[in-house]
Amino acid sequence: MPKLLVCYKWVLNEQDIKIRPDDLSLDTSRAKGKISDFDRNAIEEASLIVEQQGGTVDALSYGTSAVKQSVKDVLSRGPNRLLWVGDPSAEEADAYVIASVLAAAIRKNGPYDLILCGEGSSDMFYQQIPARLAALLDLPCLTFVQKMTLEGGAVTALRKLGDCTEQVSVTGPAVVSVLSEINKPRIPSLKQVLGAAKKPSEEIPIASLGLTPEELAPKAVRKSPKGFLMNRKNVVYKESDAAANVAKLVASLAAEGLR
Amino acid sequence: MAATFIFSEDAALARQLLTPALALGQPVVALTTDPAEAQTLASLGAGRVLLLKAAATSPEALAPAIAELLAKEQASVVLVGGTLRGKHLAAHVAAALKAGLTTDAKALALVDGKLETQRILYAGLAVSAEVVTLPAVATIPQRTFLAPAPAAQAGTVESVEVAADTRVSVLNVTPMESEGVDITAAIKLVSVGRGFAQKADLALARELGAVLKAELACTRGIAEDEHWLPIERYIGISGQTVKPELYLAVGLSGQVQHMVGCRESKVIVAINKDEQAPIFEAADYGIVGDLYTVLPLLTAALKN
Repeated sequence: MPKLLVCYKWVLNEQDIKIRPDDLSLDTSRAKGKISDFDRNAIEEASLIVEQQGGTVDALSYGTSAVKQSVKDVLSRGPNRLLWVGDPSAEEADAYVIASVLAAAIRKNGPYDLILCGEGSSDMFYQQIPARLAALLDLPCLTFVQKMTLEGGAVTALRKLGDCTEQVSVTGPAVVSVLSEINKPRIPSLKQVLGAAKKPSEEIPIASLGLTPEELAPKAVRKSPKGFLMNRKNVVYKESDAAANVAKLVASLAAEGLR
Repeated sequence: MAATFIFSEDAALARQLLTPALALGQPVVALTTDPAEAQTLASLGAGRVLLLKAAATSPEALAPAIAELLAKEQASVVLVGGTLRGKHLAAHVAAALKAGLTTDAKALALVDGKLETQRILYAGLAVSAEVVTLPAVATIPQRTFLAPAPAAQAGTVESVEVAADTRVSVLNVTPMESEGVDITAAIKLVSVGRGFAQKADLALARELGAVLKAELACTRGIAEDEHWLPIERYIGISGQTVKPELYLAVGLSGQVQHMVGCRESKVIVAINKDEQAPIFEAADYGIVGDLYTVLPLLTAALKN
């Protein structure tokens, strides 16, 4: 029976983030958390595999204490158990730190037959964690997977790489990153939501992972994120007479030399 | 002396990487698996070119060997072409070197012994600087820089035998179906979204495009979920980035993941029935209305 791990990140919903017009700083005060979009596909894929062929799925996340809010949502999507590392270091963590923490947690709780991740997180979109994890754990890595099967310990996958697709296979434990088109994440049923409350979740104290201070210090430090300013004319024609609106737009296009 | 290393399996992108690499002011060493490209890179300013000889030449398979080579060479900065294969390679290399990695760097500079880069966060909502301790790795998207002019003196080319990682078997590679249209070169684009109820209705956008002499573009959903248009026509964070004179967005809401691919357009026009859609904040001109009414009127008006 395969033992699967799926990694996910609890992120701020970017649609809720506002830009302060005075200094372009980011106002995240009203932003709610969510499971990072592509990680939902990874969770779904891991859950589908074990629902079809048996086995177990552990979900693993590293974040600030806010990651606690994700427990019910994640467990209602299929995983049997949730492991999470909550630590303030996650606030400033770069992909180097995140991969160090996740790899240490995997060494402590593994081994796993398959480790699944999303293509990238919807906040930072570093797209680094899968290949970094594979390098740290000395596992082969299949990135940008559109379709996959796990059969008798062998993974066959279709990777989508911009200008081509590539059919690949690997035997034995591997790290796989999935694209959003691999599946449609479920909307958990009431039964699945209620069932989630009975599943185990466990906090892994960061101190128990044996990481050095160097491994928890980001190599890439983010400085003063600034909102991207949309500087547009914002002329909107919204009369009830569609033909009048069209005439005004045509005049505007002519004025811009774009007719 | 500290050197900047570059690698991309995409020949055009490898040449483009020379421009930011040379601008950092350190000697530049190019890695390539292509003998013909090795000469080109040497002629364009790479002081040394290491021609990698291996049984497999995919970036993913070469990642461990390249990481080992970079560690031995004590690379200070590594710039990798930001294709998906390149991103895989760069992340592996960064992990092996215990290094930071800026994904999709738009600008780079060496400041006080660190690599300062610019990149976007939250799918394009924000821009952030990253200060990366050396050794530092960065991936750079296609067409961020122009390839440099030939250098006064060509660099040297050395061959290096490297071992490929054979754990992953490649069974089959299928080139993506392509119409051969480069929408990044289009001067005008009519871009369609989920406001269109069915594929046949895209004819309305095509007719408008014909009058405007515009190419057709689309959102991720239209290409990836509905498959109504080929993926080379979709605009957004994981698709194409365009800067046309006119970007006419029809029936698309203007989510930040889409807008990041078109927000440097000169003029943005929106047609959407939802007045609250974020596309109107990102547009110069807009019409609030049903595209099924507005498009035929607009096409007819532009014909006259």
